[in-house]
Amino acid sequence: MNFIYGNLQVALDGLMTGALYALIGMGMALIFGVMRIVNFAHGAFLMLGMYATLVFYQPDVFAVQLISVLGRFGLPTPEFLTRMAQVHQFLNPYIAFLIGGALMFVLGYVIYLGLIRPIKGQEAFMVILVTMGLSLALVDAAQLVFGADYHQINMPLKDLNIHLGPHLLLNAPWLVSFGIALLLGFALYWFVMHTMFGRAARAVAQNRYSAPLMGINVNRVQAVSFGIGAAAAAIAGGLLLPMLYVFPFVGNEYRLKSFVMVVLGGMGSIQGAALAGLVLGLVENFTSRYWGNQWALVVDFVIFILVLSFKPSGIFGSQRA
Amino acid sequence: MALLEIKNVSKRFGGLKAVSDVCFSVDSGHMAFIVGPNGAGKTTLFNLITSVHHADSGTIIFDGRDITRFSPDGAAKLGIGRTFQIVKPLRNLTVLENVMLGAFLHTSSPAVAEREATRVLTFLQMQKAMHLPARGMGLPMLKRLEIARALATKPKLILLDEVVAGLPTTEALKLADLLKRLPEWGIAAIGGVEHVMAVVMKIADHIVVLDHGVLIAEGKPDEVVHRPEVIEAYLGPKYKEHMPS
Amino acid sequence: MSRNLQAAIAGAIVGIALLLPAFLHTDYTLQIIFRIFLFAALGLAWNWVGGYSGQLSLGHAAYFGAGAYGLALFARAGLPPWPAVGCAVILSMIFAALIGKVSFRLRGPYFALCTIAFAEVLRLTAKNLPNVTGGDVGMQVPALFKYSTTQSFYYASVLLTALAVALTYWIERARFGYSLMAIREDEDTALSVGINTPRTKLYALLLSAALTAIGGALYASMFLYIVPDQVLAMEVSTEVAIVAMLGGAGTLLGPLVGAITLESAAEIFKAWFQEAHLLIYGILIIVVVLFLPEGIVGTISRKLAVFKAAPIPPFTEKPRPGAKAETTRAAVLK
Repeated sequence: MNFIYGNLQVALDGLMTGALYALIGMGMALIFGVMRIVNFAHGAFLMLGMYATLVFYQPDVFAVQLISVLGRFGLPTPEFLTRMAQVHQFLNPYIAFLIGGALMFVLGYVIYLGLIRPIKGQEAFMVILVTMGLSLALVDAAQLVFGADYHQINMPLKDLNIHLGPHLLLNAPWLVSFGIALLLGFALYWFVMHTMFGRAARAVAQNRYSAPLMGINVNRVQAVSFGIGAAAAAIAGGLLLPMLYVFPFVGNEYRLKSFVMVVLGGMGSIQGAALAGLVLGLVENFTSRYWGNQWALVVDFVIFILVLSFKPSGIFGSQRA
Repeated sequence: MALLEIKNVSKRFGGLKAVSDVCFSVDSGHMAFIVGPNGAGKTTLFNLITSVHHADSGTIIFDGRDITRFSPDGAAKLGIGRTFQIVKPLRNLTVLENVMLGAFLHTSSPAVAEREATRVLTFLQMQKAMHLPARGMGLPMLKRLEIARALATKPKLILLDEVVAGLPTTEALKLADLLKRLPEWGIAAIGGVEHVMAVVMKIADHIVVLDHGVLIAEGKPDEVVHRPEVIEAYLGPKYKEHMPS
Repeated sequence: MSRNLQAAIAGAIVGIALLLPAFLHTDYTLQIIFRIFLFAALGLAWNWVGGYSGQLSLGHAAYFGAGAYGLALFARAGLPPWPAVGCAVILSMIFAALIGKVSFRLRGPYFALCTIAFAEVLRLTAKNLPNVTGGDVGMQVPALFKYSTTQSFYYASVLLTALAVALTYWIERARFGYSLMAIREDEDTALSVGINTPRTKLYALLLSAALTAIGGALYASMFLYIVPDQVLAMEVSTEVAIVAMLGGAGTLLGPLVGAITLESAAEIFKAWFQEAHLLIYGILIIVVVLFLPEGIVGTISRKLAVFKAAPIPPFTEKPRPGAKAETTRAAVLK
């Protein structure tokens, strides 16, 4: 009996993580689907989302760090920073992450127009390099501004555990994150499938050249899509706060995972990436349980390579590869 | 002896039957052209001959060998050269170097390749352009470059895919005259796909008409062109009453 | 810029480098120049796959690491240092064959991602098998030179670069080079002239992996100790690719110029912006991609080519800038 419950717990935890992966993957799939570009800065966006949530939730942490950085460069401390350093809790994290998402949307939009669109022909490799450079720059900037320390956040409700029967338990903040991630995932899916914008985005994804003939402003659609993708990553970052330490390099692992999801899910398919996210969460958790944590990422990549070798159109994808 | 034999070849792409049970052959010394309205399956047929796609059924025999399930490079090595409809020169290289690419099929010495390439380019009256970069060249030059590259591979059969498309008529006819001299190069036969009927009528001694993947007529140009089914394929049934009886 | 001019410049740089140790005495400076030439050689090796044949690999750390760990592992198994390097090269080529077989079938970004995945699998496996590789703690590497002074490694890296330059020069002129460039331009065209594209791509990759592995072994031996996050990191792969692209992928002189520029810039950044040097590095990458997509040598070549503007050949059509024109016309005249 214990065996079953033990595995059920692992599965449950896997699904919860998986939902968050799904959100990250959906963002990436949207970007890849609409623009055929591989966004190497996706992990950095996630990291920025985490920090944004942190800053709005507990401003003093950020303020103190920034004051010391400014001090090192010999710059005076602005008034608002000193006031910030005294505020221990500002916004509820569940509101803060939405603000982080909104900010990241704007940043993503601007990044797309400024850095990615100018690339001639949007050649995939060049975009990879640019987003890599962007990632390096963002991560290092974060290190400068926020410091390289690991932060752990005390979420509200962190000590509350919900029991499902006598054998299974769910940690409340995780459950809340899971619920929100599911909600947002469905919302994103609905948005892409049933709104005018979503239709425009799908049109651009299918044929970038005839889309303008139908009155679609391709640049704007692409920039907005990129913004949404970035926001998705940022929000997922915020939602991951209960589970992860916050530090500048936290995103690196997730960017590679999001590629795995996009490939697994099939070229640009949002639903596919979401399902792939859940699958990945499950697989990783079981791998960690039976083989140890360190092999989880390896298994991700092995799956990635296997899918590319035998079914490049993805497990859930159509034959359009 | 037929150099190229196409026997009951069919190819379907998803729901579309691009080529349906086509049979014809090209003899040594012939200049055969495949014509037909758009979407007739002409380029597909070329792709089947060079094994870019594999036929679903039927056989293709070249020089006595069954090449139905070959590979494009294998077909080239056997002696089938081809040009492409959309020209793809190596932009960063000169015209000469582009043609050397073809010459390298039969030699690994750059010096020999260069000599061969020069010969071919001289034949095609492109000597003056030999050392110019292929980037930024005009269409007539690029079309000749395609032919030059294919010629440098010393093919027995050369397949010309819409080789005069996009050229002004004077250019096209000049090129046609050059093509008529191809047999001097030891090329046993030529197959072409063409829309520009002026050229076809001028140089073909055998034409094959395709419509919707089906071979509807074949024979000498003057004769085939007047056949009712051919006219109907191009102009539609409405013009039936204008056709010669 | 003609091939011969580029080769002459490269030769001059190598020549100067061979003479420099007589004037430079600090170990630190020698190490910097060692790094420059090491990455120049790695960049030239990457170039055969990435520049000339257009297969943009971001997983070359796999071969670098195979060279480093190969040396360490084979030496520990009892082989003397140089034969161990030979075996490491073979190991690297085996990886290349496997990686190539899977990746070459993939288009565009999928290819790059697949190469990254393979390199990461190797890195993580090295980290996770402490009994074999020492895991994160690392492994000892034998000394390759009797007098393991920095000078020996310095000369070795310069010679490796010279070898790579010579190989590139030969490749550019020979049939192999033409085949590679045809593959980059359009694989269907390459096939139509009888080039066996999968095999040719594989040969380029095998050669590239071999040279990269030698570089890896050299690097490992210089520090006498390696850890996975150092020799199998994605940073190595990206640095190699950037060195080639910054200088000019597909050119002979490119990687050398790229390595000199990038390493010097990195040193300067480290000195000036201690904490923010990666930030500047990231910005540099962005600037290079946006403004110098053909690399330094590529851009210079293009600007110089303007002076070679040709007399119009005797045809009715004037040469047009770029071949886009004929596709439109062909489409219209159909």
